[in-house]
Amino acid sequence: MSAALDLALREQAAGVSSGELDPAELLDACLERIEARNPDLNAIVATFPEESRRMLAEAPVGPLRGVPVLIKDEWPLPWRAQTFGAPPEHLKRKAGESGPYRALRDAGAVIAGVANMHELGSSSTGNTSFYGAAHNPWDLERCPGGSSSGPAAAVAGGIVSGAVGADGLGSIRYPAAYCGLTGLKPTFGRSAMQGHHLAANTETIVSGPLCRDAADCRLLGSILIGEEFPDRDPGGARIGVIRDPYWSDCAPGVAAACEGALESLRTEIGGEVIEVELPGHELHIAAALLVAQSEDAAELTPKRLNSLSPELGVINRGLIKLRALLPTSLTARAFLVRVQARRALAELFERIDLLAWPTVPAVAPPLGEPTIELPSGITTADAGNARQGVIANLTGIPGVSVPVGLDAGMPVGLQLLGPWGSDARLLDAADALERATDREFVELRPAAVA
Amino acid sequence: MEPEVAFRSYLEGALDVFGIEADETERAVMSGVWSIYEPAMAELREANLSVVEPERDADLSKAPK
Repeated sequence: MSAALDLALREQAAGVSSGELDPAELLDACLERIEARNPDLNAIVATFPEESRRMLAEAPVGPLRGVPVLIKDEWPLPWRAQTFGAPPEHLKRKAGESGPYRALRDAGAVIAGVANMHELGSSSTGNTSFYGAAHNPWDLERCPGGSSSGPAAAVAGGIVSGAVGADGLGSIRYPAAYCGLTGLKPTFGRSAMQGHHLAANTETIVSGPLCRDAADCRLLGSILIGEEFPDRDPGGARIGVIRDPYWSDCAPGVAAACEGALESLRTEIGGEVIEVELPGHELHIAAALLVAQSEDAAELTPKRLNSLSPELGVINRGLIKLRALLPTSLTARAFLVRVQARRALAELFERIDLLAWPTVPAVAPPLGEPTIELPSGITTADAGNARQGVIANLTGIPGVSVPVGLDAGMPVGLQLLGPWGSDARLLDAADALERATDREFVELRPAAVA
Repeated sequence: MEPEVAFRSYLEGALDVFGIEADETERAVMSGVWSIYEPAMAELREANLSVVEPERDADLSKAPK
């Protein structure tokens, strides 16, 4: 039965539906694989076989009936509160039914475990967690990406074929790129968010799928948004390219792999690549960071800040306190930049259908030293990644990262961005990209799990 | 004044004013993080945004009106 875990999510669902796969055996195989592989990957921070088996016993007939999946430690389950990768006393949340839990349950899926994440979702690397860092299956000494580190490491590591992550400033797309997966950040507001501790305040965070390919993202993504993602021929699509800095300041191997993929996609769909510009892009990182940090700023009281758990990582202790000191005038300006960015994108999307650039400017860095070397110099992976990814969260547009190659043996991802509500169209393009490359890069597996 | 020195001065004062305790390691983290993003924040501070009309009742799930 363990071979069934290597099937696509949709193949597992079809196998259970047709009776070819026994879902109880599939779940047992998944739990056994967690035991076998998680000591190396540290992708999963909690399992609960009894509750998983209860979900299976009560699973309705749905598109994922009997299929094991994981959920990031960012939502509560009826039997476990989310901890956000931090000491449980930091968030002090309660167990309960979250939106993603209900969506998965109602689709018949079985939650086999809770996946690790970067502590408090505060980095694109995944190298810090209360539970210890998750490891990248392609190289256990490298970052899996963050903050959805566990979902990505688990899917790339062959433990499950699909996992639910969250993307507040790129947190699905970065780990998808680092781990050679397809990850979708849906349009803001479309996917299930109930139960997230910031659900009432956020205008940046969404739930979304991390899977091996676009078809599985279409399946899991449609469950999270509660409607079909119909497929359509993306023929003739106009692909916008902003060279500087999104392409020009990338590691040469990353840029080359993405250039090759872009040309393959253009050829496959009979499309057109158009060089475009986006005024004001240099303000997006600061604006996105400030808008996102404002979403729970009301909780940053001196009393709370002076009683942070000593078990919280030192970087986050400093970061949280710094956030409390940021001038309001800067945040107010950040919201104006958001307006400017949204209007500029709306104008741009009248002339093009997609934007494309590398998801991250360099492949996964070492866990112990998450810096990257770019043409502009050495910088933190967080700074480089944020430049490529935050525009989707700042403005609400959807984005997908698609595996398109390797650089020094590590996966490279191409990011596709589209106008509001174009989630399905992005997956159409991702499908086309897979066809154009004979699915070479979605079929690649890390040597450790091949 | 150099940006690092200016920030450290702001930090010390702001922590005192708001009554927030921070040890030396936390202060070093704050300074380090700020130094990474300070150029971007400076650019934001100086940008001419006076011509940007606010977006009323923005709905992030849709294109701006």
